[in-house]
Amino acid sequence: MSLLLAPLMVLWPAAAVAALADGRRRPVGWAAVGVLAAVVALLAALAARVATGGPVEVVAGGWPADVGIRLRADALGALLALVSAAVVLAALVHGMVSRRSTRLFPALMLFLTVGLTGLFLTGDVFSFYVFFELAMISAYALAASGREGRMVGSALIFAVVNLLGSFLFLIATAALYRATGTLEMLAVADRARDIDPNTAAVIAVLYFVAFGVKLGLFPFHFWLPSVYGSAPPAVAAVLAGALANIGAYGLLRFQAGLLPRELALAAGILVGIGTVTIIYGAVQAIGRRDAREVLAYSAIGHAGYVLVALGVGGRVALSAAALFTVVNALNKALLFLAVDLRGPLVSAAFAVGAFSVAGVPPFAGFFGKAALFDAGVQASSVLTVLLLFVGGALTFVYLFQIYQHRYWRPAQDHHRAPRGTRVVVAVLAGVVLAVGLWPEPLIALSDQAGDAVARMVP
Amino acid sequence: MNLFVALVVAVLFGTGATQLLKHDLFRVVVGLMLISNAASLTVIASGLRRGQAPIQPLVSGEPVSDPLTQAMTLTALIIGFAVTALLLAMVYRVYTTHRSVDLDDLSRRERSAEEELERGTAVEQVERGDAEADREAAGTPR
Repeated sequence: MSLLLAPLMVLWPAAAVAALADGRRRPVGWAAVGVLAAVVALLAALAARVATGGPVEVVAGGWPADVGIRLRADALGALLALVSAAVVLAALVHGMVSRRSTRLFPALMLFLTVGLTGLFLTGDVFSFYVFFELAMISAYALAASGREGRMVGSALIFAVVNLLGSFLFLIATAALYRATGTLEMLAVADRARDIDPNTAAVIAVLYFVAFGVKLGLFPFHFWLPSVYGSAPPAVAAVLAGALANIGAYGLLRFQAGLLPRELALAAGILVGIGTVTIIYGAVQAIGRRDAREVLAYSAIGHAGYVLVALGVGGRVALSAAALFTVVNALNKALLFLAVDLRGPLVSAAFAVGAFSVAGVPPFAGFFGKAALFDAGVQASSVLTVLLLFVGGALTFVYLFQIYQHRYWRPAQDHHRAPRGTRVVVAVLAGVVLAVGLWPEPLIALSDQAGDAVARMVP
Repeated sequence: MNLFVALVVAVLFGTGATQLLKHDLFRVVVGLMLISNAASLTVIASGLRRGQAPIQPLVSGEPVSDPLTQAMTLTALIIGFAVTALLLAMVYRVYTTHRSVDLDDLSRRERSAEEELERGTAVEQVERGDAEADREAAGTPR
């Protein structure tokens, strides 16, 4: 069995079995944790293989190459699949040890990982849609499945808005198929140069709206704060750290990879929307008191950097966008898991996350911002460089407001979270620190990712 | 034919979008269903060839319609079906907790719950009391 198919072949039956079992029982939950850990290991092996040997391809079901659906792992897909699965693993362990698991919690997390892994590793536009819906539907169910009925309302808004985005994606895919006659991503990228510019522009705008909704960019962000604010910490971490990667991946793959001409045409608009998103997210975050809401607006703001990098364009900027997405996913997962806990270990972990988001060395976030800075300097874009400084300063303000409110005051509630949750948070903080201290593998992979996207169109 | 399909898709999408903006959650779900069907119709209309059904045995010499879009539409329909079921379940959950599916009503209740929280009343107790009252009103043992 190929390394590319193995994660999906392990996950799929495990998720189906977990759906039949009672997830509140601890053995079921820990079995799911074991499966997910194995998948993370497989994805790490896959990423290492891609980093040394280039993209890996498999045609599903043993069909001839042009008939069957092709799975294709390049550096971008392998990297994001690995990070997303790792974030889901951390959130699943956190959910298990804090005893907030519901009957379907482990199964839904596994289904979510099936969808995420599949969509990052597929080379076919329509199977991307199918995996994407699988991940999203699991996310809707997760957001709605808390014990409090209050959450269902915001989960419903989340589902409705994102489904609208999904259907726009489907319409755009139909148009793309009509225009190019194929669904294979590489072939689409090859033929997309020859399609009518007006058609291509409509398709590009539809894709942009579909992924903008996922990522929570400024005009499409309105569903995001209430969901991130009301979901349990484990679910919020998955939404911010794993699901938001779909938006960034989609923008990189579909805009920069498949329709680069239209992207170049809209570069100014993208930088504009990105700038507004960054400023709006930061200002709103400073104005909020509730820590979760601050983090939700912070997630909105940081989505803007990816867009600015896309607008700046070029291989360096695409690599920077990939690197920033990975680092941002880790940061956001750490902060959302840490924010409801107390104690010295957690406050240290939260400080690591906060420094990392603000872009202070030696934490992982520094390299994300440094890559963006590099891209801005190389493209001699003053705005990008300026935005990084202003955005970083604002980030400091709102994150240390939380820190001060949370950890420098005596805790009001005396119930302590189980030790396991604090250990999960500390381990995640260790990962952020380790990536910051030894960033070479990540930088090498994201360089290749930028190459892979830029090379889709010869 | 293309113009006709485009018109139908436009009407479906427009109606769906209008329903999506209503305050009644059931209408929101219906609106989303209409939009999902508009998308499915777009997919099937995007087929590259028209002709006989692509099922063996084929009549030789006649054009065969594009099987790929039909397979895609089938998948999209199934996904739409699953999504509708999920949304209806969520709306039902909202109804059982709040006894209402009107968005105005829901936000009003949320606001009053927040005010209670600020005033320092134990909201859990209030909610528990509500739930018990509801149960008595409904007369169903749970």
